[in-house]
Amino acid sequence: MHRFDKICIGLDQSMQNKLISIGKAAQLIGVSIDTLRRWDATGRLKSTRSGIKGHRYYLKDDIEAFLQDVTALARNWIQTSHGIEPEAEMYCRTRDIFQARLENFESKLSRIAPLTTVSLVTAVAGEIGNNSFDHNLGNWPDIPGIFFSYSMRNRTVVLADRGLGILTTLKRVRPQLTNSEDALKVAFTETLSGRFPEVRGNGLKFVRSIIIKNPFTLDFQTGDAYLSLKKNDEDIIVQKLNTSIRGCFVIIGFESLI
Amino acid sequence: MIVQLNKFGTTLVSRPSGKEAWLAFQPTLNEVPESEEIIVDFEGVIVLTPSWADEFLSPLRSKFKDNVKLQNTDNPSVAATLATLAKQ
Repeated sequence: MHRFDKICIGLDQSMQNKLISIGKAAQLIGVSIDTLRRWDATGRLKSTRSGIKGHRYYLKDDIEAFLQDVTALARNWIQTSHGIEPEAEMYCRTRDIFQARLENFESKLSRIAPLTTVSLVTAVAGEIGNNSFDHNLGNWPDIPGIFFSYSMRNRTVVLADRGLGILTTLKRVRPQLTNSEDALKVAFTETLSGRFPEVRGNGLKFVRSIIIKNPFTLDFQTGDAYLSLKKNDEDIIVQKLNTSIRGCFVIIGFESLI
Repeated sequence: MIVQLNKFGTTLVSRPSGKEAWLAFQPTLNEVPESEEIIVDFEGVIVLTPSWADEFLSPLRSKFKDNVKLQNTDNPSVAATLATLAKQ
């Protein structure tokens, strides 16, 4: 009999099928087992105790709901008026922390995806995350650094910053820009850097070139401007949303592996 | 000479790390005549972005111009980065 089955003696069959171990749950969410224990104690993600020794198990539905929430957590974080630091596991206060976590993501992705996907998705996430630091260093309005998290199960990477946003950044070098929609379009179509006189401004064009040639998706919001990109999209169509955010909010999807 | 980029890391994504690589490599490059061929080898690099490359490859090309040759550029993000820089 498998160890898991032994532990679950006493639970009915339907319940057993819905339980997963703490190790498996940690793997799915992308955090350590210690983190899950801490979240359990604080009530952020409650476990189900079962078996004689009272080991922690998780309801599959709870894990799925939590994974869906990575995006919601990031959105909530950038939409609140008073900035607070995100959970430590999702918060990269400095570029060095982001680099370490990006390499960890790359390593985890390489277990389920071929090199092409690993290389390109990590490059896109790396370019967007570092853009946040490049353009906000020394000027963060409240919380320095970025939110960076991912769900291997949902094939999603989420990045967010409470920085100045693309309009404010590009307006320094193109004062005639008056709204986030135009600024977002410029960022994805023209080589124009908010860090003049340095030769920069390739980052989001690079991101675009990868997304439209591969089975990935990109959702990008800055201010009240929103852009959705997928494979074979030729045009940049920016929409105006009702809700405005501070900084940038990005979701990279890689549901179809190359 | 051959510059093996994987000696700077295999996930080369940020501007500061590209700039640091360029600065750290100056003592080595200063010993190389500008007429010598510089082969940049991407073997083993898993992730490259234009931000890193712009801080290392761009000044390298400014200094050694057409003597800079690239090899093992098949990695997808390496190819995409080089294509982006070529449009500059």
